[in-house]
Amino acid sequence: MSTVIARTVTRTVVPIILVTAVALLLQGHNLPGGGFIGGVLTVTAFALIYIIYGLNYLEEELLHQNREVLIESIQHGIVGNYQLAFGLGLAVAAVAGLVPLLFGGNFLLQDYWVLHHLPVYGELHVASALAFDLGVYFVVVGALLTILAVVGTE
Amino acid sequence: MQPTPDPAASAVLAVVFLPFVAAALVPLVYRALGERTAYYAAAVALACFGLVASQYGTHGTVSFPWIPSLGVSVSFYVDGLSLLVGFLASGVGVLILTYSGGYMHGEPGQPKYYAALLAFMGSMLGVAFAADLIALFVFWELTSLSSFILIGHYQRQKSSQYAARKSMLITVSGGLFMLVGFLLLHAVTGEFSIVYMLENPELVQEELRQAGLFLPVLGLIGVGAAAKSAQVPLHIWLPNAMEAPTPVSAFLHSATMVKAGVYLLGRFRPVLVSHEWELAFAILGLTTMTVAAILAVGATDIKELLAYSTASHLGLIVAGFGFVSDLGGETGAFHIINHATFKAALFLVAGIIAHEAGTRKIENLGGLSEDLPITAGITAVAALGMAGVPPFNGFYSKELLFEAAWEAAAHAGGLAWLYPAVAVFGSVFTFLYSIRFLMLFFGEKPTGLHKVHSPPKAMLAPPLLLGILAALVSLGGVLGTFGFHFEPFDHFVTEVWASTVAPDADLHGGFSYHVPTHLTPAAAMSAVTIVLGAAAYPFYGRLHRGVNRLTDVNLLRANWYYDSTVFGANDFSDTVAETVQNGLLRTYATWALATVAALTLAGYAASGVTLPEFALAEGMTLPIVLVLLIAIVGAVAVSIAPSHISGVLTLSILGFMVAVFYVLASAPDLALTQLVVETLTLVIFLLVLDRLPAFYGNAGRGKMIRDGALSAVVGATVFVTVLVSTAATPADGIAEEFVNRAVPEGGGGNIVNVILVDFRAFDTMGEISVVAMAALSVLTLVAMRERGETQ
Repeated sequence: MSTVIARTVTRTVVPIILVTAVALLLQGHNLPGGGFIGGVLTVTAFALIYIIYGLNYLEEELLHQNREVLIESIQHGIVGNYQLAFGLGLAVAAVAGLVPLLFGGNFLLQDYWVLHHLPVYGELHVASALAFDLGVYFVVVGALLTILAVVGTE
Repeated sequence: MQPTPDPAASAVLAVVFLPFVAAALVPLVYRALGERTAYYAAAVALACFGLVASQYGTHGTVSFPWIPSLGVSVSFYVDGLSLLVGFLASGVGVLILTYSGGYMHGEPGQPKYYAALLAFMGSMLGVAFAADLIALFVFWELTSLSSFILIGHYQRQKSSQYAARKSMLITVSGGLFMLVGFLLLHAVTGEFSIVYMLENPELVQEELRQAGLFLPVLGLIGVGAAAKSAQVPLHIWLPNAMEAPTPVSAFLHSATMVKAGVYLLGRFRPVLVSHEWELAFAILGLTTMTVAAILAVGATDIKELLAYSTASHLGLIVAGFGFVSDLGGETGAFHIINHATFKAALFLVAGIIAHEAGTRKIENLGGLSEDLPITAGITAVAALGMAGVPPFNGFYSKELLFEAAWEAAAHAGGLAWLYPAVAVFGSVFTFLYSIRFLMLFFGEKPTGLHKVHSPPKAMLAPPLLLGILAALVSLGGVLGTFGFHFEPFDHFVTEVWASTVAPDADLHGGFSYHVPTHLTPAAAMSAVTIVLGAAAYPFYGRLHRGVNRLTDVNLLRANWYYDSTVFGANDFSDTVAETVQNGLLRTYATWALATVAALTLAGYAASGVTLPEFALAEGMTLPIVLVLLIAIVGAVAVSIAPSHISGVLTLSILGFMVAVFYVLASAPDLALTQLVVETLTLVIFLLVLDRLPAFYGNAGRGKMIRDGALSAVVGATVFVTVLVSTAATPADGIAEEFVNRAVPEGGGGNIVNVILVDFRAFDTMGEISVVAMAALSVLTLVAMRERGETQ
């Protein structure tokens, strides 16, 4: 499946996709975007690498991973990382929900602050919901990559 | 009646929960005490008995707040009837558990046995004291569950499995009938409290009648009681339940569990008693009494004989409660006590015989009194009581039944004269088998029966105590003739009796009993019974064979119906499983989709949903129409695509068109999501398809048509659902609210995202958990399959 054109395009496009994904995640609160879309977009970038270069390349060359395999049938140890990702995501979302309790708020209460006079940005909205969104992002990335890797290996 | 003190809350709570706590501790105790766990369990039962006894003479409700904010509480009710059942469960429990110490010597599975027995006792105490319909139901089913474990004690034996399953099926499903009855009661009165119903019986009955639910409630509760108390034709589980170790039979099937059904009738008697009640339960009880007594004559095994006899005597109690007159309640109350004493004693005697003589076959036994003199004495008192021979205890309660039946017949006339006739007829058979059981100890020893050893003391003391109790009750009647009464005992029976009649009923100065001193109809009926019984006894062998010939006819056996139904259902479910789940994904999908579509459409049809009017033109611009048309073309292309690859590719046309539609309908967030997800699905699909054969299977024309029709139905269902569900949008949209609050409260301009992470963050939390779960399940499914777990 990998022609020279495909490889070259992938090399160029993947970073752009990833940056876009992160941008979508960060701007999600005010503009189209958010954790879910950002997550899915990130996964498409990975999928592209996977299709063009194969999972081994992703695992060994790009991420320098050589992990023990947990489940025999799944040939790639990287699946463990993916699992970690969605576990972490759930934890982040839960902690983000719990923090307001410390300040006497309800579970999952969100707040936001507006920072003025920043260099370059000028004015910036910082919403605590971003932490929660980050959790969503990681869950989506981890879960979809797990499915992708497992189904792909099949 | 003079006011009585309120029960002590802590004692009642302890009595119900102590057995459960003790049951949980049994494995630990067993490690320390070994076989002496029996005495630990007996001590627990004794403690319960003490606690019940400490509440003797009290009357009222004990309530503990449980979830106060919702007004939910745990409450228990103490009155004569609940005390009686409490005494039976704990008192007989003490004896049975002591007896088990001897009987279960060297048996396997003892921790399980004692834990289940204690749990059973706790459930039974719960049934007795529950003051709430739901609590009653829960404890009720707990007795079924624990008895399931006990009946199936020898879990490797096919016959035990069959017996346990049978009793479970019958008693648990009977309980479900009862639950429906309870829910109807609740629906009508708005109360779950039994105490409320007992305090306003007339009001409740009136309300039930007005709602037209009186007969259904009566019937449903009756089915529950009949299943538990082994009334015809649900009596069939009781003889099979004799697979259990004998102490269990004695405990569950003579003194406690089977009494739960009778208890239920007694409990609801004040509320439901009426003409219909009498018709239902007098007939049911008398039929059971007679049929089971006849079957007992046909029994070849001593425990089988006792099992049928139990069903028969329960029939007597049910019939007693069935008669509307005050005598009816008196009969039931008194016979519960008598039956528990003589029947538990006889079961324990049967256990001794089986244990020491090594056989339970009636024809192989005889002349046991030489070796077992004390046991013979106990049996004489108990069996003569069971036969209803004066002056033994069963006689007095049977007299009461005869009296009640006679009175009912004299009152109603006509066919009602069958009541006393059937009562006498059934009692003749009762007399016959009781004497047959007694004769095991007399006459000649059959060849092949060796010297029988005396049982250990732990096995002899409990039946002896029960026999003495039965003898004391009998003596009470003799003394009563001369004007001496056991005041406390009479008072207690009066209390029980009072629980089974309306609060303001006249008890004629309380209960007392004595040997009849002049000729009454009831005394004459007793005399006829005994004379007929004695005359028929020489022909016992012939009767025995006759009954067995009769029960060989399949259509006359309730068991045959049960077996046909249960095994038929098994075969049926095998067939269904093979048809519906034949291992082909296509079949699974067909059935699942067809079922969902059928249920949904049927739901709409049943609730009379009308399709809302919708205008195509509304909000339709030319670009949107174009995009949707392309989508339709894509959809058609999918269905005629020649290969998987082209099918998936054309499917994605559909997806992308939907995304474009979102853009045109100004929903950029949705469009973005749709685009990205569509791309990703496409990639995953292609990855998978790489490994699949590139052609479709050659399905037949019939299958194609079926699948086509199914997909059309599914499509129509989804279409209708969307129409119906969007039509329910409220006029003042919730969107406005979100728009107004998003920026000031969420601090974000993207309303969709603000809703997701601020307003409905908890939802999102659940959703991401589901996503994570899905990934885990994919992982597990694939891994499990590869491990070859196909056994």
